[in-house]
Amino acid sequence: VSCSMAGEEDFFLEEKRFKQYCEDFVKHSQQIGDGWEWRTSKDLGDGYLSKTHFQVRSRHIPPDLEEKNNDNTEQMLFAHVEEPSDDSQAAGACSTEEVVRYEYHVLYSSSYQVPVLYFRACFLDGRPLTLDEIWGSVHASYQARLQEGPWDTITQQEHPILGQPFFVLHPCRTNEFISAVLRGSQEHHRYTNYITLWLSTVGPVVGLNLPLSYAKLAPEQSTDAAL
Amino acid sequence: MTDDKDVLRDVWFGRIPTCFTLYQDEITEREAEPYYLLLPRISYLTLVTDKVKKHFQKVMRQEEVSEIWFEYEGTPLKWHYPIGLLFDLHASNTALPWSITVHFKNFPEKDLLHCHSKDVIEAHFMACIKEADALKHKSQVINEMQKKDHKQLWMGLQNDKFEQFWAINRKLMEYPPEDNGFRYIPFRIYQATTERPFIQKLFRPIASGGQLHTLGDLLKDVCPSAITPE
Repeated sequence: VSCSMAGEEDFFLEEKRFKQYCEDFVKHSQQIGDGWEWRTSKDLGDGYLSKTHFQVRSRHIPPDLEEKNNDNTEQMLFAHVEEPSDDSQAAGACSTEEVVRYEYHVLYSSSYQVPVLYFRACFLDGRPLTLDEIWGSVHASYQARLQEGPWDTITQQEHPILGQPFFVLHPCRTNEFISAVLRGSQEHHRYTNYITLWLSTVGPVVGLNLPLSYAKLAPEQSTDAAL
Repeated sequence: MTDDKDVLRDVWFGRIPTCFTLYQDEITEREAEPYYLLLPRISYLTLVTDKVKKHFQKVMRQEEVSEIWFEYEGTPLKWHYPIGLLFDLHASNTALPWSITVHFKNFPEKDLLHCHSKDVIEAHFMACIKEADALKHKSQVINEMQKKDHKQLWMGLQNDKFEQFWAINRKLMEYPPEDNGFRYIPFRIYQATTERPFIQKLFRPIASGGQLHTLGDLLKDVCPSAITPE
């Protein structure tokens, strides 16, 4: 692994290096049919990794329709979607399955010199998920950290290339955990794909999982002179 | 920066006279009069329009009121851009006052970020400040500040307090005397005509030969189409 080092603690990722890791990553994704692709922007030639997948969520609506957020309409809607056939008074709880379309983009931040995960989700009718709904779908083990300071971790931001609203996993803390692992990797002259390492750590927070075969990722030819 | 205090004050106190009109399809109990306001260039729409919201909500029923959003000639206005930027981008060649249309329904999810509270604006503002300092000082100055300094920066903006704001911001605008400038210059070039919202790249204040870069150098480097040969 060769990155420019600002201090002994931190590994920073140069943009060229980022693109190379993404290229290796996409090659492996293509081999296993994992759906990642690289998109190049037409005007400035920069780009990003992109993946879309669909997830089925089971949703349980309690009989008490007291809402926690502003929008009551959605809960009202689901309460009427499935009426139990043996109960003409739809007073009981009902659960329904819904399909959510998740879109994940990995962009490079030149300001922080790290990759950043952008994502958005919508139902099949096009209605986007709210930030509350996104938080609600975050894995239980990450919930505690998000409760403390949600504004530091997932926020809604404008996509820097597409100009549309996305949710973003905040990049500030990336270097803390990346540095520790990459230092060990460098000492043992092992190739570690920065994107695989980073995405396998942050992705699960927002429902994105990487098959284990990515861990065996190796460059087709030596991309790192420093190894 | 003390030499530039006049310029700093002029920038801070820049105002745009604006006329807010309720969208004609909003459902009202009686006619809504337009509302006039001087908007601060350096602030954000959702931070300075409480009075606009109250004014129009007076003639509407509560159930007709959802998240407020603003539009100019059919284009939803991004509240997370500074007001002065929005005006320069969309309306700089038109006559004053700037005419903005106010909506309370059909929030354009694909175009605008939500802004459910002032906390969202504060988080956005502070994120911009932090990113700029990452470029200027590798985040050293912003990270050395206490939370109360961050709060003072935000309160200065929110309450239009120039001195309060600059007491903290001046530290973010300094660099060690042995350096000739910041590590990189935080800049964004916005164009109304592109899908890409802005151009942002790493750019050093000093050329390899030691000369100070000019604005022209920056434009030539990152946005040459902006400089026409004529």
